[in-house]
Amino acid sequence: MTFQDLILKLSSYWASHGCLLQQPLDLEVGAGTSHPETLFRVLGQKPWSVAYVQPSRRPDDGRFGQNPNRLFKHHQYQVILKPSPDEVQQLYLDSLEACGINPRQHDIRFEEDNWESPTLGAWGIGWQVLLDGLEITQFTYFQQVGGIDLAPIACEITYGLERIAMFLQRVDNVFDLEWGGGVKYAEVRLQEEIDQSKYAFGQVDMPAEEFAALHRDLFDKNFAFAETLLASGLIWPALEHTLKCSHLFNILDSSGSVGVTERTAYILRVRQLAVKLARAYVEANEPKAEVQ
Amino acid sequence: MDRELLIEIGCEEIPASWLPGLTRQVGEQLDARLKEFRLNTDAKTETFSTPRRLTARVAKLAERQEDFEELVTGPPVSAAFRPDGDPTPAAAGFARKYNVEVPALERHDTPKGTYLAYRVHQRGKATVDVLAEVMGSLLRSLTFPKQMRWDAYLEDGKGDLVFARPIRWLVLLYGGRVVPFVIRRTEIAQGPTVQDVRSGSNTYGHRFLTTSGRAGRAIKVKTFEDYQSRLLENFVILDRPERESKIRRELEMHARKLGGRVSGLVAAQSSLLQEVPDLVEYPSVIAGHFPVEFLQLPEEVLTTTMIHHQHYFPVVDDEGRLKPAFLAVINMQAEKPEIIARNSERVLTARLRDARFFYDQDRNVTLESRLPRLSTILFHKKLGSYKEKADRVASLAAWIARDALRQPDAATHAEQAGRLCKADLATDMVRELTELQGTMGGIYAREENLPVEVWKAIYFHYLPIGIEAEAAPTAAQLGKAAVTWAAVSLADKLDSVVGMFAAGERPTGSRDPLGLRRQAQGAVKILIDLPELTGLDTRVTLGPLLSRAAEPFGGYGESAAPLLTFIADRLAYLLEQRGFDVRSVRAVMHAGIEQVSPLAARRKLDALAHMTGSPALLGVATLLKRVKNITKGIAAPASLDAVREVVREPAEQALAAEMGTRAPMILAAAERGDFREAFTAIAALQPAVAKFFDDVLVMAEDERLRTGRLGLVATLRDLILGIADISEIVND
Repeated sequence: MTFQDLILKLSSYWASHGCLLQQPLDLEVGAGTSHPETLFRVLGQKPWSVAYVQPSRRPDDGRFGQNPNRLFKHHQYQVILKPSPDEVQQLYLDSLEACGINPRQHDIRFEEDNWESPTLGAWGIGWQVLLDGLEITQFTYFQQVGGIDLAPIACEITYGLERIAMFLQRVDNVFDLEWGGGVKYAEVRLQEEIDQSKYAFGQVDMPAEEFAALHRDLFDKNFAFAETLLASGLIWPALEHTLKCSHLFNILDSSGSVGVTERTAYILRVRQLAVKLARAYVEANEPKAEVQ
Repeated sequence: MDRELLIEIGCEEIPASWLPGLTRQVGEQLDARLKEFRLNTDAKTETFSTPRRLTARVAKLAERQEDFEELVTGPPVSAAFRPDGDPTPAAAGFARKYNVEVPALERHDTPKGTYLAYRVHQRGKATVDVLAEVMGSLLRSLTFPKQMRWDAYLEDGKGDLVFARPIRWLVLLYGGRVVPFVIRRTEIAQGPTVQDVRSGSNTYGHRFLTTSGRAGRAIKVKTFEDYQSRLLENFVILDRPERESKIRRELEMHARKLGGRVSGLVAAQSSLLQEVPDLVEYPSVIAGHFPVEFLQLPEEVLTTTMIHHQHYFPVVDDEGRLKPAFLAVINMQAEKPEIIARNSERVLTARLRDARFFYDQDRNVTLESRLPRLSTILFHKKLGSYKEKADRVASLAAWIARDALRQPDAATHAEQAGRLCKADLATDMVRELTELQGTMGGIYAREENLPVEVWKAIYFHYLPIGIEAEAAPTAAQLGKAAVTWAAVSLADKLDSVVGMFAAGERPTGSRDPLGLRRQAQGAVKILIDLPELTGLDTRVTLGPLLSRAAEPFGGYGESAAPLLTFIADRLAYLLEQRGFDVRSVRAVMHAGIEQVSPLAARRKLDALAHMTGSPALLGVATLLKRVKNITKGIAAPASLDAVREVVREPAEQALAAEMGTRAPMILAAAERGDFREAFTAIAALQPAVAKFFDDVLVMAEDERLRTGRLGLVATLRDLILGIADISEIVND
């Protein structure tokens, strides 16, 4: 099964189980959780089920295209089910079967792994799903987002698409994956990985101090504007600028441009914005709900 | 007639590390609830668990609650009747409340007087009618390391029912019949896909395995016996010891086939064998291999990757060398185990390839040149970065080597090892395999050809973890690095403990996220076992060590009292764990923790243990108690000469003379660390001390005489207390 077939299979499976098919957030983010289809929709009481691919950038994981398993940018398949159905584990296992993984021939396990994002003021309880010892999915029952207790509880299923595709295609190097129609992953993404890794680690024709100063400045401008947008009641663009801050901070971090105290301060600033955003979203969409 | 109670809480996968505790809780809480509800049992409550179920069985549970009887007291008799004998409104009201006439009330004598009373009899209800309440209160009583909300509540007015993971089914059978019970789902969640959980007689087997029909279908059960055997048919081994022994059997069998055995490291470095039975319902073992080229990686990297990251068991040959193979416990009875084995091999190989990449990359850069990067890694928000921590450790380690251990030659190595001991936190390998911090730094230092003193000090600086005398590292492992290691390991631990206390981070109850208890114990363990570990016989006193460690934080500040109590508690704990008598431990620590040398304390305890039951020593100890009482606040004179001129009774002359000869011996023996001799000499004072108290009245009328006598006994007191407060060992 090619990489793109896997996406198609998962999409048609979840669409047939009542999910809206959304598109990736067209911004640089670290995980599908940052997408407003998760971050906002899990708040409040309104039922919502959605599925989408999210390209996820992790500057720290950049390996210049040389590591067979690790990428600056990988792809997550993200499913949100709210409220979480009683049969959610079975639904998930059936989705694997739909992708050609027969659970009776493998060892599939749900092992404790709780998720937490300090920058989003969010945490949940759940498992990593292991397929013959390979971590293929993060399975989380959200408990809080933006510091707000969730009710009903939403379930987030995050598939690691490259890992699952490598398992299905029996390849040991991600760049050897067939993306589709005989085209390899390397042909689609290798140059991007190299360039992005160089950028993430500050290998730019620019002195390190200038590189750091530029990113600090971009952070500050996006941060200030996010606050302005929030004050204007424009929650969606405010989220986008908050996410830009988050990514800029990741670049500052991976390029070794921030010290300890500064690091904590940056995380705290993004968190404060995320918390305000979550409250603003709840206030705008659930006028009767109690906001803590 | 007694009947069987069977409870099964069917759950989504409960974390393995919680299961043993949770299973115990179910048993204890069910017993407590049954007692509270006056339901008698003849048999012990049995509990079982798998990742997907918590099960309790009471073989014989009474059919009815015990009857209930209670004496309710009303108004005092003195206020119950008018002079004419008619009941007062208070008495009449009380009687009315229980629907009886006043004459039918009992009289109840209490220390406060006689009261009217009514005996309430309540007949016990049928067990089936109270079991729902028992179930509810059982569910409410369980506690979890981390609890989750899952849109559930009970109809007991107490709101949300939090749990470990969502509950998916509930078996509640009494005498083979279902006891109705329901866990409700909140209104906002409830719908076609979110339903109440109702008690029933259906259980569920293994997710994927079955002998007949569809895996995961409901299985109807009636009795526990039936339940256990139906589960087994459906690939669930309910009994944990059975799962464990199946795992052990198969591990041994596969290891033998591979021509080796399971590495002893598994038990020594992890709780893997304890954990796997709680990860599976139907375990079996598969064997896999990895390419032999990876054996070039440090053994520590291979075993950590296998044990901690993949839950695989490494296999070693007869000489204890790793084989390029592993064993994995799976939750399947696979038709084609080779498929799972091949996939597991690919996962492990990918991880090892990653590890090799890190190992090669990391070695391109020296530890020294990683130090600037440490300033970007936070140790603690009030105590700064790991760079700052390493600088403090370096300076403290050099001081310990030079001034505390009096080994100036080791100071340079200690300084270097201290400075570099955290550098591996900035390596890719440790960022990936955090369990290897310290170990990896040591390996990289070795690869850089740094002196053995330095690389071993880094390698072992997180140790010791255990407090028993033989806990790693051993003198043989340390070799000539022992002194440097002791200085660095002590410095790291003392810096963390003293620093965290100064920052207001103190362990409370069971909460000790920073592991300060373990670190403090590690530090005192090093000092206690110093001769065995390093060959040094230095009795290091804690006071100077702690205050030097506190210097970078501007001294103890407000943390002084809690810190010193904490250290004293850890030392006392360790000594008690080593089997020393609690009272003796108090005796050798009486002077306050700052005056205590852990090694001297251990030696004194050895000597005291040797002299247990010596009547002479006990005699002196008993009299010391008296001496302490009468000399409270009295300082001993500078010398006994003046005292000897004043005193005149033969018994006091004799005691003064005896002390004159014994005191230098006692002091010299203590100085040498020969506490057996010191205590023997103290015991030898017994006849003279006893005779003194028999014949002499200390509190004489004559002030000069009294002062002289008090001076004499105060001198005796200080002589003994200088070693230990042996009055503590006297039985009260």
